Formats: sequence, C-alpha cells, structure tokens
Amino acid sequence: MEQRLANTWRMTVNEKKFIETALLSDLRIDGRRPFDYRNITIRFGREDGSSEVQLGRTHVMGFVTCQLVQPYRDRPNEGTLAIYTEFSPMADPSFEAGRPAESAVELGRIIDRGLRESRAVDTESLCVVAGKWVWSLRVDLHILDNGGNLVDAANIAALSALLTFRRPECTFGGEDGQDVIIHAPEAREPLPLTVHHLPIAITFAFIGDENTVVIDPTHFEEAVMGGRMTATVNANGDICAVQKAGGEGVIQSVIMQCLRIASVKAADITTKIEDAVKSNNTERALRKIKRHPPSVVVDVIKAGEKGANNLLKENMEKPQLKIEDSSFSQGDDMDIETESSKQDDGRTRTDKDASFIGGPSSWDPYSKGVNADELKASLASRVAVTSPKDTTPLVEPPVTVTDLPVTSTTAASSSTETTGAGQQTNKEKTLKDAVKPKHKRKKKTSAS
Amino acid sequence: MESKPSNSPSSLVDQHVFPGDVVLDLSKMTNQTIKLGSGLRQDGDAISAMKAGKLRFAKPNKYWVESSHKRYVPCAGDTVLGIVVDSKADNFLVDIKGPTLAFLPVLAFEGGTRRNIPKFEMGTLLYARVVMANTGMNPELACMDATGKAAEFGPLKDGYMFESTTGLSRMLLKSPPCPLLETLGKKLAFEIAVGLNGRVWVNASSPSIIILVANSIMKSESLSPVQQKIMVDNLLQRVQ
Repeated sequence: MEQRLANTWRMTVNEKKFIETALLSDLRIDGRRPFDYRNITIRFGREDGSSEVQLGRTHVMGFVTCQLVQPYRDRPNEGTLAIYTEFSPMADPSFEAGRPAESAVELGRIIDRGLRESRAVDTESLCVVAGKWVWSLRVDLHILDNGGNLVDAANIAALSALLTFRRPECTFGGEDGQDVIIHAPEAREPLPLTVHHLPIAITFAFIGDENTVVIDPTHFEEAVMGGRMTATVNANGDICAVQKAGGEGVIQSVIMQCLRIASVKAADITTKIEDAVKSNNTERALRKIKRHPPSVVVDVIKAGEKGANNLLKENMEKPQLKIEDSSFSQGDDMDIETESSKQDDGRTRTDKDASFIGGPSSWDPYSKGVNADELKASLASRVAVTSPKDTTPLVEPPVTVTDLPVTSTTAASSSTETTGAGQQTNKEKTLKDAVKPKHKRKKKTSAS
Repeated sequence: MESKPSNSPSSLVDQHVFPGDVVLDLSKMTNQTIKLGSGLRQDGDAISAMKAGKLRFAKPNKYWVESSHKRYVPCAGDTVLGIVVDSKADNFLVDIKGPTLAFLPVLAFEGGTRRNIPKFEMGTLLYARVVMANTGMNPELACMDATGKAAEFGPLKDGYMFESTTGLSRMLLKSPPCPLLETLGKKLAFEIAVGLNGRVWVNASSPSIIILVANSIMKSESLSPVQQKIMVDNLLQRVQ
C-alpha cells in the first residue's frame, strides 16, 4: 500500500492553483497560449512502418506489422486493422506493467474508432483471396514518455506508421495456381497501404471553474482538468469521431468552437505528417540505391571514364568553335579554376549536412539531354562522394556544381592520356570542353 | 596530503566515471584515511564506481560520484521539497521523490508540542530537511534546523512547483550563485526554493514572471554558464 503511494505521481495544491490562476490571464505553465499546439517531431525507423512521435515531452512509438489470416465470416473480402497499446511503467510510474489501465483502453479505443469507422485505411485492398486470406494489420503503440495528451501523439504515431508501412506483395503459384506466394521485399517491391484520409485526433481540456478551454494539455493540465474532449477530424473538415471524457459539462457553442479549431489544427498536422512521410520516402529510395555499395563503386570508375571519353569525343567533333575561342582561352581557364575551387567549397558545405532529400526528382533533368552512361557516372559519383544533398531542383547552380569537379578532372586526366600531351592549345581546349557541356546543360535545364 | 594530487586518482576527479571503473588504488595511498560517498565501493584495495557520473573530491578526503537523476536517494542533511501525502497520529507521510515515503514527525516543528499540531491538507508543499536516512527505513524529515529554529522551513504557499533533476538542483544551489539565477534576479523579483531532490518552487507577483523563471530554469540544465546568460538575456528582451 505504502509502496504504491510512493510510486504514484502527485501534484501539489500550489501547482493546481497556479495552473488555474495563470489560465485566467491566458497563460499556460509551458509558456503557450490556450490554443497553441506543442511542437511535433516525427521520425521514422529503418524498417517500414515504424514511427516515433514526440509531442513536447510526450514520446510515442508506432509500429505496424501484418499477417495473413482468415477474414471474419461477415466480411469475407476485407482485411482487418487492430490497435494495441503498450503503456510502459518507464513512461510514467503510475502505469502498471501487464494490466492495461483505464486510460490505456480508452486511448486504444479512440484511435481505433478514428481510424476504422472513418474507413481511413482501405481494408478491401488488403484482401488476397476472398473468404480465405486477408492481411491483418496490427498497429502497436508504445508509450515511451508521458508528457500529457497521449491520445494525439499516439494517433499521429499510428498514422505515420501506417503511411510508411509496406506489405509484401503476394501472387498465386504452386501446382494448381492456388497457393499464395509471399514475395520477400528483396525480390519484389512491397506495396504501400491505401490510406484515404488522415483522421487527426485533437484533444481539448476544460480547466477550472470557468471551464477554460485549452488545446493539447500537458500532464499537469490533465491532472487539473475537469473534463476532456477529443475530436478526430481530417483535413477536409470531416468529423470522424468525438470522445468526451470527464464529468464536466460543456455547452454546445464551446463544442462547436472546439471543432472549428480542431479542423484548423488537423490541417496543420496533416501537412506535417505528409511532409515527414514524403521525405522518408525519398530517403528510402535513396537508401535502396546505396544497397549494393561494391558494385556501384566499380561502376563509378568504369562509367566515369566512359562518360569522360564520350564527352571528349563529342567535343572533338566541333573543334572550330574552340579555336575561335582560343584567343581568350586563358582567361576562360582562369575562370574555370576559380569556379572549381568555389565548387569545392560548395561541396564541402553540402557534405556536412549529409541527410539528403529530394534526390530522385532531381535526376530526371539529366536523363533528358545525356546518354545513359554519363547519367550513371554522374549518379554514381554523387553516391561515391558521400552523396551531397540537394533539396532544390537541378536548376540551382550549387547542385550542378556538385558533380562537376569529378567529371572535369577525369576528363582532364583522360584527355592527357588519349590525345597525347603534345599540343598545349589542344589540352587547354579539352579541359575547357570538359566543363563546357555542363554549362550548356545548365542553360538547357533553366530554359526548360 | 600533498602527494595525493600526483597519485592516479586525481586524474579521474571531475571526470566521468562508469560503473566498474577503478577510481582509487588504496595500495598506493597508505597511511591516509578517505571517506567514500555515494556511488563508490571498496573491493579489497580498489575503490570502484557503482554508478555513472562525475567523480568529485572535497578536501581533505571525501570522494563521491555525482550524477543527475530524476529520482532521489535521501541523504541526511539535504534540504528537500516534499508533498504531504497522508497524516498519521504522530507522523506526516511526505513524498520526497525517494524510494519510500518520508516521515515528518508532527513535533518536528519549531516549538512543536502535542497541543499545536499543524494541519496540512493533502498535497501541501513543504520545505524540509532530511534528518535521518538509513537503508531499510523510511527517511525522517524535520521542519526546523539543527538548533530547533524554523529557519524558513515549513509549508510553501502559492507559487509554482516543478520537478527537474537532482543535477539541476545542485547547479542552482552552487555557492557562487549560478549565472542563470543571477541574471534573472537582476531584472525580475521572485522567490525560489530549491530542494536537493530535484524539486524547485518559484513564486512571484505575477504568473507570467513565474512561468518565465520556471521555464528558463527547466531549459538551462544542459547549458553552460555563458549560454545560460545569453538565453536569459534573450528571454528578457523578448518579454520587455
């Protein structure tokens, strides 16, 4: 008995009084205004379908797994979705291991209702053989730290985990063509789920005698609040679920006001989740390319040389123009020198923040005007040079710059080999030529 | 005594140590008595650390390991902030973030007699002193100093109490006053009570000052003195 008393977290009279008095002047103990949401951080694990959400001090991890099961009798062609919660005593001493508390059950139910009854996840697409095999999705939500408002954080964790989850592809095979073959993710690309919309849970707390409304309560405010309302709203403004907990009565106009605020916040959070998922997807795609490092490195060297040779050939075909230029070629060389040093600076700068976003989209412009080998070379060089980051499209100068030095140096070196070191003017030309096409390309892309 | 700094242990003082690290070698420092504090233990001739933290040394001969925790291990002589949980016939049960509740005898107040037993409702915040902390027993508190004077101990009214870590409390209580409190105190008027159990109580005339002080204290744990000053200056500029 006494041991339990020692373990429970308790609040002083002072805190309770202070929270209420501060709220009367529209202040909250963490410095927010009543309708400010805390900062949300969404991170993803290496595996598909795992997410970690931080909402202030609240920390929730979501994990999605799937399994082939027999469908329910009454819904033979629908997959299933189940939410499981895990309240670790590490998060809050008041959580007991093993036995789910009332709050744990409520949290699971709210998220389950928001996701399932609004049909956010397309369960019919989870059917493999009607009446026989469907995918059963399991969302595990682990509460790692309780800083209040677990419902919202867990809901965001569940959504972002579902958005990044990919189920293995399966086909029919075997002797009679009736066996279900589940393909390993290495063999066939796993498929993402169909998520129609994102039901976002927004929690309001009603505190004090005057029922002051605050959004996103911390656990201090949760200890003080008389009532709570969770509205599950999507970005379109549809209300998916409303849960009113706690005894305090709330008048209708307040609820309507809460719902309006909720739909605004839901739109914000939706974009946050979508941005996080998008950047995760691109990162995932990039990770795939890095999956076979040794072969890529070999490719770099070969393709790099090849690409350089190609460049050389191209440029040798139109020497006349170069000769005309040669009167001020020295000046040009100087330019190139300084430029390349600048480029190097740029590269070191970009190397520092090596997390790379938006890679694949920026490759496309290359493939337009360049042959495949060269594309490969530039791609490979990018991977080899610890993958400089480019958030901006290719039109921006620093990006074109990043893979420039590599090709130009190889071009220069190979030119000395192939053309023979004899002619000084020729060498100058080729050095410049190796750079020139890129400039042209830059113009091309900027024009397009 | 003079020869000690040249010994091997001095290299570890104020350094991070980890459980199992041999901190002192007694065979090299004969004819000395040393006192071991928390987090250290003796295995034959070796003194090894039992918890991760910084090894501290106080003249003439005290060694201990200091670390920052969210929980508190009671230690006699510490001043703590406790919350009244229950009252029994001759004891109040007080939560001091320790492994067990602490006892506060109803007579452990200045001039306390059977006649004038104070009344505390549940959840009252108390500033108290740990009188006794033995293993296997509930620690005992007192709301008076060793000479029997009240000396600021007792219930704290109003204000706001927040919990942090023991490391932060120790930083706030350091003897050249911590730069954070110094800079805050130059501009704002507030009362503060720091318990070594990681609880801090702040009171001021207006809620906004309390919130500002409390949040800047909570944010300052991982900051260096200079950073603390910069943060507080920025905060104050933004407010004014």
